[in-house]
Amino acid sequence: MRPEIYEYDFDWMLWRCMEAAGKIADGRQKETRRMLEYIPYFRDTAEVFVNLGKPGITFMKMISRYLENIVCARKQGKKVAMTTFCFSPSVFYAMDIVPVTLEVMTVLATALWKRGTADYMDYCVELGFTETSCSAQRGSLGAYLAGLGAEIDFIVTNTAGVCDTNANAFAFSHKHLNKPFYSLNYPSGLTDEASSRYHREDFRGLVAFLENQTGKRLDQDRLKQVLEETAKQEKIVGEMEELQMIVPNPMPAAYNFIIYGGRFMFAGMPEYTKLVSDMLGVVRKNAEKGVSGLFSGKERIRAFFFYIDHYNMGLSLWDFLDRHGISHLGGILSRSFKDDAPYMKGMEDVAYRIDTADLDSMIDSIAMINSRMPMVRSIRGPYDRPNMWLEDSLMLAEIYRADCLIYNGTPGCRNTWSNVKLMAGDLEKAGYPAHIMSGDAFDERVESWESTSARLEEFFRIRGLL
Amino acid sequence: MMDFFRKTAAGITNPHVEDWIKRGGRVIGYTCSLIPPEIFHAAGLLPFRLRGIGTTSMETGDAYYGPYVCTFPKCLLQLAGRGDYGFLAGAVVSTGCDSMRRLDECWRKAGRDFPGILPEFFHYFDAPHKTEPHAAAWFEGEIRRLIRAVESFFGADITDEKLKESICVYNKTRRLICELEDLRAAENPVISGEDAFCAILASSAVPPEKFNEHMEHLLDELRSKKATGGGKAKKRLMLAGSINDDPGLMRLIEEAGAAVVADSICFGTRGADRPVDAVTDPVAALGQKYLAGCLCPRMFGEYDRRLNALAEKLTRSGAEGIILQNIRFCDLHGSENSLLEKDLEKNGIPCLKLEREYGPLTDTGRMKMRIEAFVEQIS
Repeated sequence: MRPEIYEYDFDWMLWRCMEAAGKIADGRQKETRRMLEYIPYFRDTAEVFVNLGKPGITFMKMISRYLENIVCARKQGKKVAMTTFCFSPSVFYAMDIVPVTLEVMTVLATALWKRGTADYMDYCVELGFTETSCSAQRGSLGAYLAGLGAEIDFIVTNTAGVCDTNANAFAFSHKHLNKPFYSLNYPSGLTDEASSRYHREDFRGLVAFLENQTGKRLDQDRLKQVLEETAKQEKIVGEMEELQMIVPNPMPAAYNFIIYGGRFMFAGMPEYTKLVSDMLGVVRKNAEKGVSGLFSGKERIRAFFFYIDHYNMGLSLWDFLDRHGISHLGGILSRSFKDDAPYMKGMEDVAYRIDTADLDSMIDSIAMINSRMPMVRSIRGPYDRPNMWLEDSLMLAEIYRADCLIYNGTPGCRNTWSNVKLMAGDLEKAGYPAHIMSGDAFDERVESWESTSARLEEFFRIRGLL
Repeated sequence: MMDFFRKTAAGITNPHVEDWIKRGGRVIGYTCSLIPPEIFHAAGLLPFRLRGIGTTSMETGDAYYGPYVCTFPKCLLQLAGRGDYGFLAGAVVSTGCDSMRRLDECWRKAGRDFPGILPEFFHYFDAPHKTEPHAAAWFEGEIRRLIRAVESFFGADITDEKLKESICVYNKTRRLICELEDLRAAENPVISGEDAFCAILASSAVPPEKFNEHMEHLLDELRSKKATGGGKAKKRLMLAGSINDDPGLMRLIEEAGAAVVADSICFGTRGADRPVDAVTDPVAALGQKYLAGCLCPRMFGEYDRRLNALAEKLTRSGAEGIILQNIRFCDLHGSENSLLEKDLEKNGIPCLKLEREYGPLTDTGRMKMRIEAFVEQIS
């Protein structure tokens, strides 16, 4: 790693960046516009949020607090857990643990910094963590492996049985950092009795691990509070997602990003409830007016992203969608599969529900939430089995009246690159034009955004979508 | 006797398989060390571990799999697409790793496009990645599910007694493999690493009783053979890491001036030193052996156990260095090899970390040069 990279901690730099970004819109509009001229490299990303108005700006301020919590955790006597986006942080918040969610941190640095996380990614390789591993973890992992971040107390992952490269990143860190490690593990089934029993037992093992690491018992009242807040949040998100079914889709393109990003960082936290409430207000207004949430107000086509989004070059994907009149209908990342979600009507038995009756039912509830997190739910088993990737994607595409489906991932995703051709073929057979993006969501060196966007444009043009 | 083993290792099928089928026997293929062949054996089937050897092109593998995937499962699919696995009555795919578990979908899909390439019995074996009691219960449940599926499809009756008998047969196989390993690791070896590997490889490609018979003969031959003394001049190496069923890799190492005296790879001796308990409940015993004893980095958080097993084998075999290889895109072995390199080198064991492609050794020159340099380094 270049010597200058060692000068500042990764999470501290991110925090200071987001702290400043959160203040961009604190003045008058003219001041904000003027300010943007002084941050050319960060401008595109900042504009994605500033242009969203209050929810976007609030989101930036919340991210800043999330990062501040990480940087200041030790000073506040809190334990720090390295974890994954596939894991709901609500149990951490109930136990006063500060999560460092690697993929979230990678997205932030990818979107904020001109060089993205290239230095940290490459540092992982210097240490022997394979270059073919997923960039979603490598992007921030390198910083923590180099000691350029908050000290990690323990590691929790949720992806064994779901994604090898993800789980392997945490297993590698466990040995490299010599920190305690707990890995939840998933059977290929989702709803059968044996799988449900396993989910519950495995999660109880995690609770015992966390109690052991923190020296504290799981606080029942706090857990109840967090879960009730989570239920509230999902209800609000559910209403937005119901409104998303309308043509034109009244939801702004970047809202999906805030929904899932917020869920990964703030599930169960009251500020996230407030944020999604504000967002709902905007979506409702657009729906009442019958306008699209796109800045142009005109929706030309509706795209469902059946894996993840693309975060390079100042979140250019969202600008691209907006400019072309493409509604982002969300994807596997943004759906939580709660029982009262609008797309789960008639399928409540395969959803999760939140039951706060007693400690046991609450632990079961979090276990069920975690077993339905992105990837964990949809790609754990063969893609064409009930409740897996194909069925979920087709169901959501139909409900949301998608005109096309788009795959984006990373070359490190062994799991989906092993079957995405089959998946795309099946989607095409079902009548949906499907496009496989071949870049890396977190590493622009793999394919430049110019190439990625040119290929996207080509797809829309050739398939007669635009 | 070595001729038989060499021929068996050189291609997919062999005279014993052909004879088995001619006599009306059925063969079942399986993909991973997590799947207990004892179950198939107890059902009167011939267990056959799927290999990718002999692949010369990749059009089928690449048509279904994406580009960033390990070449081993792609080669399996390629051979299946070519009809080389037409002799299988069934196949079981496990969740060994992500690329391998997706063979289930790719093969099924290819089977729809090319009728006849998918065995009639096709089963997905879902194995946990850890060994806590609730994971062990899941694994035992999977073993029972596999037993029921085999019984139902093949009309077999897999009783505990039959399972115990099969366990004893395979325990004997393991014991014989360990005996061969001792000879391979002798101070002055009477068998080359390549030949030993060919012999060991046959254990998953011929009926175990026949294998045991042949192996006993080979061991007798080797015990009576006078050591040539040639082995002394060679550097003693151990091979570990990603799956390998290609004797050519062993040959490459030995041609570079080394003797492969031990291994820890799938298709090699990994796990052979731990027999299955033949006395207790056979399903629980198989679970104990195949999950708790699994030495693959897919078992997250169990690095220390694997490091200790490797260190023990290094000491036992007297290896002077170790080659830690991984197939490109095998992140599990690739990353673990780096940890192993660090820990083993700390203890004075020279390591060579090597990335390669599976299949025809297209990068033979590069690998040979690196191995030669490594051998020179430890001289």
